Amino acid sequence: MSEKPERPARAIKLNVINEPKDSYTGGKSSLCPGCGHDQISNVIINAAWENGIKPHKIAKMSGIGCSSKTPAYYLGQSHGFNTVHGRMPSVTTGAYAVNKDLLYIGVSGDGDSASIGIGQLIHAIRRNMDMVYVLENNGVYGLTKGQYSATADIGSKKKKGPINKTQPIDLCALAINLGCTFVARSFSGSKKQLNALLKAAMSHKGFALIDVISPCVTFNNNDESMKSYGYVKENEVTLHMTDYIPHFNPITEVEVPEGHFRDITLHDGSTIRLETISDEHDPSNAVAALTALHEAETDAKHVTGLLYFDNTKASLIEDLGLVDTALIDVPDAELRPGKDMLNKINSAFLS
Amino acid sequence: MENIANDFTINIATANGTGSQSANLILLQSLFDMGVPVSGKNLFPSNISGLPTWYIIRLSDHGYQAPGNRTDIQVLVNPATWEEDLAALEPGTVVVWNENSKLEMNRGDIVSYPIPMNQIARKINPKLAKLITNIVYVGALAEILGIEQAALESAVKKQFKGKASAIELNTTALEMGRSYFRENLSKQDPYIVEERAIETPQFFVEGNEAIALGALFGGAQLLAWYPITPSSSLAEGMIEWIPQIRTNDDGESTCAVIQAEDELAAAGMVLGSGWAGGRGMTATSGPGISLMQEFIGLAYFAEIPSVFWDVCRVGPSTGLPTRTQQSDITMLYEGSHGDTQHIVLFPGTVEECFEFGWRAFDYTERFQTPVFGMSDLDLGMNRWACSGFEYPTQEMDRGKVVRDRDVFEAFEEFGRYLDVDGDGIPYRTLPGSGMAPILYRGTGHNPMGVYSEKPHDYLQLMTRLRTKIDSARDQLPAPILREEKECEIGIVYLGSMENTIQEIDDILEATGIKVSQCRLRALPAHSEIENFIDRHEKTIVLEINRDGQLYGILRKEIPIHLVPKLLSVAYSDGMPPRGKIYADLILKTLKEGQL
Repeated sequence: MSEKPERPARAIKLNVINEPKDSYTGGKSSLCPGCGHDQISNVIINAAWENGIKPHKIAKMSGIGCSSKTPAYYLGQSHGFNTVHGRMPSVTTGAYAVNKDLLYIGVSGDGDSASIGIGQLIHAIRRNMDMVYVLENNGVYGLTKGQYSATADIGSKKKKGPINKTQPIDLCALAINLGCTFVARSFSGSKKQLNALLKAAMSHKGFALIDVISPCVTFNNNDESMKSYGYVKENEVTLHMTDYIPHFNPITEVEVPEGHFRDITLHDGSTIRLETISDEHDPSNAVAALTALHEAETDAKHVTGLLYFDNTKASLIEDLGLVDTALIDVPDAELRPGKDMLNKINSAFLS
Repeated sequence: MENIANDFTINIATANGTGSQSANLILLQSLFDMGVPVSGKNLFPSNISGLPTWYIIRLSDHGYQAPGNRTDIQVLVNPATWEEDLAALEPGTVVVWNENSKLEMNRGDIVSYPIPMNQIARKINPKLAKLITNIVYVGALAEILGIEQAALESAVKKQFKGKASAIELNTTALEMGRSYFRENLSKQDPYIVEERAIETPQFFVEGNEAIALGALFGGAQLLAWYPITPSSSLAEGMIEWIPQIRTNDDGESTCAVIQAEDELAAAGMVLGSGWAGGRGMTATSGPGISLMQEFIGLAYFAEIPSVFWDVCRVGPSTGLPTRTQQSDITMLYEGSHGDTQHIVLFPGTVEECFEFGWRAFDYTERFQTPVFGMSDLDLGMNRWACSGFEYPTQEMDRGKVVRDRDVFEAFEEFGRYLDVDGDGIPYRTLPGSGMAPILYRGTGHNPMGVYSEKPHDYLQLMTRLRTKIDSARDQLPAPILREEKECEIGIVYLGSMENTIQEIDDILEATGIKVSQCRLRALPAHSEIENFIDRHEKTIVLEINRDGQLYGILRKEIPIHLVPKLLSVAYSDGMPPRGKIYADLILKTLKEGQL
């Protein structure tokens, strides 16, 4: 080569499809400084970039609440829909039915998912709707100024008001019981783990729930809160070290960890590697996953990692029995039966 | 005694779940096949088995399709309503009654035809007697009225398509009913059936099935629904037809069907499909629309194509789930919180059910706004004569969607909500296209689709939305006018009232009042409606509800000097409309209007 290729002033790191990370960023956040949700937004940007997904082939979906505002802050090249409170799963389902070729990333909060929208969450899981569902869980309603949500832990106390005495709904336990095919819990402060889990969720075909504890710095970050940064850092029980090896990186080139580990192959050929920390957790065992959640709850701890995984179930698209082409790409002429068909119908009615 | 041919009403009282529906449909079909103008109304309970059901058959050479003002022939099979049914009859009514019901026939002023229905049925097949008891009265009626055996047998074959044993059993029961009457009783009534020449061949079809077919010819890509009477058969009609007309040889279809967890989710799915660029619809009834209100507002504000079919039943609340009414007009037109206005289509015939079934998608994509179709239980679940469905007269209108990068780049500036053409309808790009991505939202937004609470942005948006819907008015189906020049009185009506209007017109004419008819077929109202009101001294707004919902809407929208011309006649008791009731109310209202 005689000519040197022109290089930018500063080397910009590109992903596998030659896109800079900037192609995945969004607008400026209007959330409170230090909000866990902003950290999650950054991980979403990073995970989508590292996975080499075309930004415009992502659909970012949300409901209502602080968490649901975040799609404005990431993936500015993707279409999105900030829908109504608790109803993002149904809108996503309808969009998916007519365009299965997008990667649907839904973001929701504990108010959105555990209360007003719990029915839609349950039914999206039941259908094994093919989407990543990021639950930004802080135990309070932020936008309405700090009321308890249905995931607030017993004995936890937010900045203002009494101690919560109402039994929380553990959405991971609920999802496992419903047969959700990918159930993980993480913490907005554990970027590496969340990044690996998110990338794995993107590679999964079916409903992938990631419940991310994401402290509310304004209303629920005091010492008596069980969803504060301080509390979660001290009381996080990690099931395993989590690594993600994308399908475009030969797994053979990845360094093999010294200790015991378990590789799980995902639908697109990528791998999630779970390195055992003390006891080994088998994510295909629903009882073990529920036990881990139950023990953590008893000990007032938060267990994180890939709790449950099942790649044997058909996803919604297979149940719908549609043509291979995404419906929005089917030409009009194929959507409207011909004149002959109507003549036939009319004569059949007459006979 | 002079014969009365093809001009009487038969009321059949049975219990739900006893096979009476097939017996009644056989009777109806055989009359239809003889060329007799006939209509059937199923008054069924919200119940699967045991509660009383009535089936009303009207024969009318005038073509009247509403139940007559009185019952001329009563069939009594159901002991539960025996006394009540019997007491309501006028002297001289023909009563065909089940002699085996162990109930008294305490009326001496009627024409009594006792038939031992159970005994006859048991004689044919003791095990299946229950199922054929009802067909015995059809046989007896056939003998009494002179219904041709060939028409009956062909109707039985239609009803039990290919089920040889059922056909044989029912044919025998018919014959036994016939011969019992012939051998044991003698005709003492004037009612007879006369064959009429069939000019154009017609078939029976329910409005719900017609909409289902229309929607599939409209290129529906998603049906998201939640079961509710009286709309379920619309969704089920689509499910039944998809494998036949929207599925390839490999069994793969181009229309997804999802039974949602509730009506909210069904609406959400419809919006999702519209957002993604597909043609999505739902079928529901009033209670479902109540639940969908929040999404309807989102679809209006974020400008998402979405089609909602409301097969209206009697409200408020759970109301009378199996009775008919036109009581969702206001809710559909002004649905959801905040200032809204929606396109609503009102088919009045089964042919229009099919047509509006496909047109709804064109309108929703053209105007980027939710489109409602309002049918009702009467039109949706009863069988109506149809001369055949007409193939869509125009190509699918996909609206202002920018699919091509060249086209996209020709825009000087692209904003999702920019009014480029001055018609209030902006351009949109689809998710996945990579062109002009935005985050759709139900919050305030500026022409670029960016969140905004600025007074100017809000005002501009709301004004444009109003312009947009307003501009639709004359592009929607125009009213059907039946007008005579000398008329001073006009009647504006809609939907299934089409089946009763001529009878009302004739009753009024008999009292010396000639009226013009104007059937409104869509909201916002076509400008012809205003002209029609202007041309008449007084205009009655006739509707099947209590409050005069259409009247209220028109009052608000027509020029103020026309308002005094409008009079409301609104009535609903849950029953299918009967001409005499409405005609009397119109006369009363006109009289009061003159004072």
